[in-house]
Amino acid sequence: MTRSLPRRLLDEILSGSGIWPAVPAIVVLLVVAVIPFAILLSLGFSEITVARGVIVSQDFSLRYLTTALTDPLYHTTFQRSLTLALMTTFFCVLLGYPVAYLFLIGKPWVRRVILVLTIAPILTSGIVRTYAWIIILGGRGVVNSVLLDLGLISAPLRIINTQWAVVIGMVQVHLPVMILPLIAVMSRHDRRLDEASANLGASRLGTLWNVVLPLSIGGLGTGAALVFTLSYTTFVVPQLLGGGNYLNAATMIYEQVVYSLEWSKGAVTALILMSTCLIVLLIFAWLTNLGTRWTRVAQR
Amino acid sequence: MTTGFHRAELLDRLGIGVIVALAVIALALLLLPAAIVVIMSFDTRGYISFPPAGFTLDWYYKVFNQPVLVNAMLTSIKVGVYVTLLCIALGVPTALACVRGDFRGATALSVFVLVPHMVPGIVLGVAVLFAGALFGIGPSIWLQSISLATYVMAVMVRTVMARLQRLDPLLEQASANLGATRWQTFRTVTLPLLLPAILAGAVFTFIEGFDNLSVTIFTHGYRDRPLPVELLAIVQNTNSPLVAAVSSVQILLAMLALGVISLTIGLDRVNE
Repeated sequence: MTRSLPRRLLDEILSGSGIWPAVPAIVVLLVVAVIPFAILLSLGFSEITVARGVIVSQDFSLRYLTTALTDPLYHTTFQRSLTLALMTTFFCVLLGYPVAYLFLIGKPWVRRVILVLTIAPILTSGIVRTYAWIIILGGRGVVNSVLLDLGLISAPLRIINTQWAVVIGMVQVHLPVMILPLIAVMSRHDRRLDEASANLGASRLGTLWNVVLPLSIGGLGTGAALVFTLSYTTFVVPQLLGGGNYLNAATMIYEQVVYSLEWSKGAVTALILMSTCLIVLLIFAWLTNLGTRWTRVAQR
Repeated sequence: MTTGFHRAELLDRLGIGVIVALAVIALALLLLPAAIVVIMSFDTRGYISFPPAGFTLDWYYKVFNQPVLVNAMLTSIKVGVYVTLLCIALGVPTALACVRGDFRGATALSVFVLVPHMVPGIVLGVAVLFAGALFGIGPSIWLQSISLATYVMAVMVRTVMARLQRLDPLLEQASANLGATRWQTFRTVTLPLLLPAILAGAVFTFIEGFDNLSVTIFTHGYRDRPLPVELLAIVQNTNSPLVAAVSSVQILLAMLALGVISLTIGLDRVNE
């Protein structure tokens, strides 16, 4: 029985043993991600002329890169971004790990509540979640109204447009991303290990420290890496809760590219953002690795 | 000796108590902001002030009667649909190739597909904008959709791959043994089994297309302003419960999405 060529082609694709079903995706990823990154990289080392939104000339130049690396504004901005992202990561670990532990020891309904409360925010717009903090922390917001009514303060506190507002917003917006990988680890955790630990006389804190924590270092590392990347490169939260005068690396890129149309500067800032982010992630990976090794020793 | 034992026991309870208390605080922190937004969207006053002074649905009426907002919502729905269709068309076959493929570099391929999602969205957005400018392609709803599809395709591939890996190959073999062509097997056996994963993946890709700002802000068309871009502007410039009402609509959308995921792959499979 001979079959038509298209049908044979279709069968070949559906058998799925060749690379071929993936070819369209590979082409799209090359054109829309890989080539643009290469171009971004090249623009960081170029002097360009833009006319009506089109790049008309591009010449090699290190001017923008050297200017950026020596510019004090860049130093303070990146320092601020880094501090902010590390603080966010720290608080996300501090609040996220207990949630994961509660997931581990909780009854099925507790687990379900945790899953719903963690996944729902991921499906909600970041702008909406940040906007909520404007309502909560604003001059006539929830916090100020409650404190005024209780007579604890006589005039509204200025919380919004401060660094703390940005940190609070960032922690809340990125907390689910910390919790999810930890929950994944916890749902694979063998509770018999905890029982064995308890039978050997360990307290619950002891079991948490010696059994549960070592086995969840991987999830902790993944979560921390995700939170850091997102909070280091976000611009919604600083833009909305920082009151427009709070510059981090991401808002800087936005202003350079969209407002002042200094594309070479924008490209350089984006490249510095990416490379510094990568360096921190490598340090995180190294720490996670170190942590895992420490726990292997502990398990012996 | 017994007092020492009691002290240790007490300390243990205290420690666990503190941890559970932190967890409860964290969970409250996740829930409360959304709840407050919804509550404020019913306020009768023209400015945000807590607690609300009355109850009205006027703000919702206004949301759906402002051409700017309605157009922005329609644009974002379109983008969400385009992104989802692209991710299904490109991502599902890729997942098949990653799991079933016996060619060299199958593992490398599955890593390669995930890379764009690991790069900060703002960097991808800027890169696409510049690349487009080099070839004379300006920002548009199409540039936005294809960039976002590239960005979130990883989610579709991962969700479908997780399902494929758990799929019993005997089912497909049985179908082939019964004389089905590969197309028949794919259509009547493989695809129905993959459908829950594809649906769950589609929810995530649609939401990303609808909500994303980091890639969108550099690639969206100037005439087709999507909801996140419009929302960012009105959040910065207005202080009326109108914003809370738009936000509540988005929270409702998230709840719907949550329902679909819970019915398809189950919430506990989300991060596989």
